[in-house]
Amino acid sequence: MSKITIVCVEDEPDVLDAVIRELEPLEDVFVIEAAENAKEARHLLEQIQERGDETAVLFCDHIMPGENGVDLLVDLQKDERWQDVRKVLLTGQAGLEATVKAVNQAELAYYIAKPWEGDELMQIAKREVSQYLVAKDLNPMPYLKHVNMEIVQDLVRKHLSADR
Amino acid sequence: MTLPVKKILGLVLGLGSLVLLPFCGFDGLSPAGHITLGIFVFAAIFWITEPIPIYVTSLSVIFFQILLLSDQSLFLESLIRLSGGEYAAPKYQDFYGTLAHPILILFLGGFSLAKAAEKHALDRNLTRILLKPFGTSPVRVALGVMLVTGILSAFMSNTATTAMMMTVALPIVAKVPASDPFRRLVGLSIPVGANIGGIATPIGTPPNAVAIAALAKHGTMVPFSTWMMIATPLVLSALFVSWLGMCKMFKPELERFELNIEGTFSTSPKAIGCYIIFACTVGLWVTEKLHGIPSAVVAFLPMVMLPALGILDKQDIRSHAWEVLWLVAGGISLGISLKNTGLAEWMIGQVSFEAFPPFMLVLLFALIGFAVGNLISHTVSATILVPIAIAMLAPDVGAGPAATIIPIAVIGIIVSFAMILPISTPPNAIALSTGLIESKDLAKVGWLVGIVGITLTLLFGLFIWPILL
Repeated sequence: MSKITIVCVEDEPDVLDAVIRELEPLEDVFVIEAAENAKEARHLLEQIQERGDETAVLFCDHIMPGENGVDLLVDLQKDERWQDVRKVLLTGQAGLEATVKAVNQAELAYYIAKPWEGDELMQIAKREVSQYLVAKDLNPMPYLKHVNMEIVQDLVRKHLSADR
Repeated sequence: MTLPVKKILGLVLGLGSLVLLPFCGFDGLSPAGHITLGIFVFAAIFWITEPIPIYVTSLSVIFFQILLLSDQSLFLESLIRLSGGEYAAPKYQDFYGTLAHPILILFLGGFSLAKAAEKHALDRNLTRILLKPFGTSPVRVALGVMLVTGILSAFMSNTATTAMMMTVALPIVAKVPASDPFRRLVGLSIPVGANIGGIATPIGTPPNAVAIAALAKHGTMVPFSTWMMIATPLVLSALFVSWLGMCKMFKPELERFELNIEGTFSTSPKAIGCYIIFACTVGLWVTEKLHGIPSAVVAFLPMVMLPALGILDKQDIRSHAWEVLWLVAGGISLGISLKNTGLAEWMIGQVSFEAFPPFMLVLLFALIGFAVGNLISHTVSATILVPIAIAMLAPDVGAGPAATIIPIAVIGIIVSFAMILPISTPPNAIALSTGLIESKDLAKVGWLVGIVGITLTLLFGLFIWPILL
C-alpha cells in the first residue's frame, strides 16, 4: 500500500527540528520527510513518487537560500503530479505580495505565521491531510487515528465495509 | 501477490471436497445428498478460509446448486436414475429466488431508510436529542452512548452506526486527557452498543435474517414485532449489565463531562418526507401483529416512496450493501438442498444425540457459535450452524412456535455477542482504527460481553421467552 507522506521544507535546522518534533506523533500512520531548501524538496518529492508513495501535505518556509518558498509552491502547482498536494506556508516573513501570489497561483491551503502556537501545527497537519484524503477519495480507515473526523465523516461512510 | 497458506489450503480443501465428496458413497445418503454435502463442505471451508470474498462463495453455492441439483442440472437424468426416481429436483428459479427472499427485501427496506436517515442527518440529530437526558455524569454519558448506539444499530447496519457515532463522539472525547480511562470507556461503548443493538430487530444484523429465514423455511413465521418482543428486552439487559462491568473496568477519573453535539433538524421538504416515511415504516413494522401486513411487504414502502420523492437517487441505491444480501441468500439457498436431498436428516443420524438433553445441545451450539463468531463472519457462523441446529432441535410444527423459535433464536443471537478480536466484527475494527482503544481493552470487554450475552440469552430462552411466545 502506498504511504501518505507529509513533507516539511525549512532552511533553519533548529526550526526544522521543532517542526518534525511537533508532527512526530503522526508517524505511526504517516511518513514525515524533511528538506532544507527548494532543490532538496523537489528531489524529495520525486523520490517519494518514484517509490510509489503520495505526498499529501507540504509545509514550506518562504525565505530560504536559493529559490524561495512561494516560487517553489507556484512552480509545483504547474506540475500536475503535485497539484493535489495541500500546500501550507509556514513563515514569519512572507510579505503581502508573495502571500497573495501563493494564494492565487499555488492554491495555498493555509498560512501559518511563525511562531506557531500550541498544537496549531498538528491541527493543521491533520486538517490538511484529511482534505487530501477527501480530494483523492482514499480509504480513510487506516488513518482514522490522526485525521479531522468532521472532514472525513462522509468519506468514512463511503468506504465503510458492510456488516458481515 | 502471494496467497497466504490459509487461503491456499482452503482453496485446495474446498474444491477437493466439492469434487470428491459426491463420490464417497456414504450409507443412507441419496446421490443428490452427496452432491449437497460436497457443496456444503466446500462453502464452509471457503467461508472460513476466504480464498475468495465470502459473498462470492455464497453466489457460487447458488451457481453449483443450479448446475448440479436443479431441474437444469447437467446430471439431472443420472441423478434421478441413481436415486431410483426418488429425487425431486427443485426448479432453478427456486435457487435464484433466494436472492429476493422476503427477509432480504426487508433488509433492503432497512438499507433505504438508513441511507435516507444518513443523508438528512437524522441519525446524528437523533443521537443529539437522545443523549441529552443522560446528563453530565461520565458513567451515565457512557450508558447513553451505548444505548443510543444500540437503538440506531437496531435499524441501521452495525458498521454504519459505529462510524457515525465515532465521528460524532471522537472530536469531543479527544479533549479528555489521554490518561483518563473515560476515553476508552466511550471508545468501547460504541462497538459494544452497535454489536448488541443489532440483535434487537430482524433488520439489525444479518445473522437475525439467517435465523428468521431458516424458521420460515421450517414453517414458523416470526413477525417483526415478535422478534422485537423477544430480542429487545434481552438487548437492553445485556447492554445494561455490560455497562456495569465496563464502568468497573474503566473507571472515569473526571467528574463531569458534557457531550454536546451541534446540529439542528433539517426542515427542507425532503428531510420532512424522510422523517415521515421513517416513522411510518418503523411504526408499521413494530405493529405487525396488530394489522397483519408482513414486514417484508411494508419494506417496499420506503423502497418505493424514498426514490419517488427524490429523497434517494440511483447513486444511493447503487451504494446499498448488496453483497450482504447475497451472502445471506447463499445460505438460504443451501438450506433448500440440505432439506430437499435429506442431507440434514442424514447428518443428524450420524451422531447419537439421544444422550444429550435438548438444553445441552442448545448450549453446545451456542458455545460453538460464539467461538466461531469471534473468528469468522457472524453471518457465516449462523449460516453454517442454523440449518444443522434446526434439523436437530426444531420439533415438528405441531409442537408450537415457542419450541421451534427459541433454540434457533438463541443460536442466531449468540453469534452477535462474539466481539473479542479486532476481526470479530467491523465495528471492532473501526473502533480500533481510531486509536481510542487498544486490542487488549477490546479483548477484556469482548469476554465480558460474551459471558453476559451467553448467560442472559440462555436465561431468557429458558424462563422468559416461553412466557412471551
